[in-house]
Amino acid sequence: MNLRLTHFLMWLAFIALMFAIPEFVSKGTLRTLIFANFLAIFAISWDVLSGRTGYISFGHPFLIGIGAYTSAILTKRFDVPIELAIPAAVAMTMVGGVVVFLPALRIKGSYFALVTLAFMELMYQLVQVIRPDLTGGTRGMSGVQTLTRGAVNGYYLSVSLMLAVALSMWLLMRTQLGTALSAVGMNEESVRGSGLSVTKLKLFAFLTSAFVAGLGGAFYVHYLGSIAPRALFDINFLFTIIVAALIGGASTIIGPVIGAFFLTFLLEYLRPYLPGAERYFIYGMIALLLYMYEPKGLIAIFSKGWQRLRGGAGSEQSSAS
Amino acid sequence: MQIIIQGLLLSGLYALIAMGFTLIFSVGRVLNLAYGAYLLIGGYVYFTISQTLGVPKLIGLFIAAIVGCMVGLLKYRLLVKPLKGNHVAVEISTLILAVVLQAGVVFIYGDSSKILLPIVAGVTQVAGASVTYNLLAATMASWTILIGLYFFVRKTHVGRAMQAVSMDTRGASISGVDPDKINMFTWGLSGALGATAGVFFASYTQLSPSMWVAPLIISVAVVIVGGIGSIIGTLIVAHIVGFMEVLAVAVIAPELRGVFTMLLIIGVLVVRPQGLFGREEL
Amino acid sequence: MSAALRITNLVKRFGGLVATDNLSFDVEDGQSVGLIGPNGAGKTTVFAQIMGEHRQTSGSIELYGREISSDSTPERIRRGVSRTYQVPRPFTDMNVLENIRVGLMPNNIWQMITAKPRYQQETEIALSVGFTETDLQKTPGELAMGDLRKLEMARTIATGTKVMLLDEVFAGLTVAEIAQITVLIQQMRQDGMTFLIVSHDLKALEPLVDKVIAINYGSKIAEGSFNEVLNDEAVRSSYLGAA
Repeated sequence: MNLRLTHFLMWLAFIALMFAIPEFVSKGTLRTLIFANFLAIFAISWDVLSGRTGYISFGHPFLIGIGAYTSAILTKRFDVPIELAIPAAVAMTMVGGVVVFLPALRIKGSYFALVTLAFMELMYQLVQVIRPDLTGGTRGMSGVQTLTRGAVNGYYLSVSLMLAVALSMWLLMRTQLGTALSAVGMNEESVRGSGLSVTKLKLFAFLTSAFVAGLGGAFYVHYLGSIAPRALFDINFLFTIIVAALIGGASTIIGPVIGAFFLTFLLEYLRPYLPGAERYFIYGMIALLLYMYEPKGLIAIFSKGWQRLRGGAGSEQSSAS
Repeated sequence: MQIIIQGLLLSGLYALIAMGFTLIFSVGRVLNLAYGAYLLIGGYVYFTISQTLGVPKLIGLFIAAIVGCMVGLLKYRLLVKPLKGNHVAVEISTLILAVVLQAGVVFIYGDSSKILLPIVAGVTQVAGASVTYNLLAATMASWTILIGLYFFVRKTHVGRAMQAVSMDTRGASISGVDPDKINMFTWGLSGALGATAGVFFASYTQLSPSMWVAPLIISVAVVIVGGIGSIIGTLIVAHIVGFMEVLAVAVIAPELRGVFTMLLIIGVLVVRPQGLFGREEL
Repeated sequence: MSAALRITNLVKRFGGLVATDNLSFDVEDGQSVGLIGPNGAGKTTVFAQIMGEHRQTSGSIELYGREISSDSTPERIRRGVSRTYQVPRPFTDMNVLENIRVGLMPNNIWQMITAKPRYQQETEIALSVGFTETDLQKTPGELAMGDLRKLEMARTIATGTKVMLLDEVFAGLTVAEIAQITVLIQQMRQDGMTFLIVSHDLKALEPLVDKVIAINYGSKIAEGSFNEVLNDEAVRSSYLGAA
């Protein structure tokens, strides 16, 4: 697994920092941070699948939506206790993951991305029409049971979840499995030619990604207490997830977390100067320029800068890979 | 009867929308996810020029097309060319660009949707179906442009060069065609087509900052289902999609209008990734 | 004792085209066999069928007496047969050791998670095909064509293969690189590896093979020692006809 003491210390520092934050910031900032935590979870989910295996998902809200809707419907319409509803939602999302996986057996690249986009649009249209008595139709649902009260508790819950997901995925991706999944992203034929079942690896990536997406989606809906199809199955939401993963640094787990916080705070810090929609304009431009400048993301910029600082002496890679 | 007429009209509009997308996919081998943004820009430019400033409509349409063309050229120079060859990067950066442009429109025009006056006012009755002159004009314009494009690609030197690049970029460049120039030209043309389609599309539905998503999905459906980059295939599939929507609205429920399009995309991509009509040259 | 690789009455049709036409041959354990023929004779198609990348229309493929036709490619590799490609297909963002690591991995998700990489074995394999210590951390982009071929062979060795299929292993190499690869194959033959080698470069092939099979239009036209086959009338005319 190749763990070093520095990794251990960095994680410890990171976790300590995240848990200390509520002592120093306002409630408003804390709410922003909660959103950043959820965004980080979604971005990690995207990264495990698309960043590694190269199967670009343009339909991640589809998976997140399954998790959120399942848990919301179970608790609100059927009075299922939340402790059972969330695992059921995760299981349901993994079924959704298998559905998205099936086209990946035959198609890849741009075509796969488009199918996932179609999945998202399909879901958007279907939840509004099929059984509106359950899904709440176009207007969605409100008054969904919440897990926590107040920003501080919400923050602790979301940050624990985010850190648990990030740490476990990071550990998982440092094993040989992570190497094998990256190999799938580089050359599928050669993976098969090395005696490994590509189908098995891909299925695992889809299931893991769906697991994380479902978990994040379910907790998210029980934090918000409401759900609306237009906000969920939205290209802007998809865009935020993908951009968080990419400008942070795809295929690194830590990158998407950095990206999610960067994006959320960028948006927040632009607010005083640009109160309206023009914020998104600037924010999109910054994302675009960053992506064009360094497709490997902030984490690559940091590690290059770090190596330059050390005079390029150490050939050691940063903790990311 | 009404269904047939409405289907024909809607399909004509869809064919026009999808055409510019097909061109880029065929010649440049790139999915331009910001394609919908041309329609957005076209619609809003036309709105400003003709409806706010009161310039004659035809000129407004013309200026919209020119702006679309320029955006296309800029996009090729600034985005697509620097990312040469990396399809995923192009797709992602065009997606980001689309969101940026949408935000730009919100910035200038505000979030609420606007009604675009019909380009050609009036309604007529054809076989018991009420047909707006506006949609009729859109369909006619669409057919004119498609036929023009078909002959342009077949008969002119530039058109043949486009065909050559779409078949084999390297081969084309060996035989003296500059793929860079042809790509440039195609992006400009695609932008102009998209903007024109945007004016008609906006006058058919309405003008709103998020109006780019639906046409993008339609274009994707048409291109995917038809097979890459054939003008005839585009035309046929635009009719399949158009009629499916009209039928879904008339026979089942209006809310389901897009569902079958999605199912068609998914179904065709999974079962027959090369498209119903296979890969043809332009 | 059954052959290491036995092809019997193999037929492959693509639509109306017959790519492999009732082909049969044996490769004995430890033997090194050359597969030659003019362009388009169907050599690579035979490889693809042995590896299960294409399913044959009819006929059988046996590996050490066991029919492998219904196995998937990874299963066949596990049974001990692997191939290299004319155009090397390395994992571009991984260094030499990591490339080899993929070949060494168990085909089992749980073991991939729990088992540690076998660094020592990775290094041994890399050194055995002629990489130097300094090469180990290089990525494929930094390697020359000859090194990429070595890397492919190394990853193939890592899968534990007993029968190695080499496709145009000398194409695009410098004279020095050809000499290196030749030495490498000789060494592996002495260590007991079984080879089936496709090559256009007959001169380079000559010292490496115990026997040569010539095919044209998917069927066998000659089999025997290198000199016998090269002097065969049908073989000569097939090469002339294709040229």
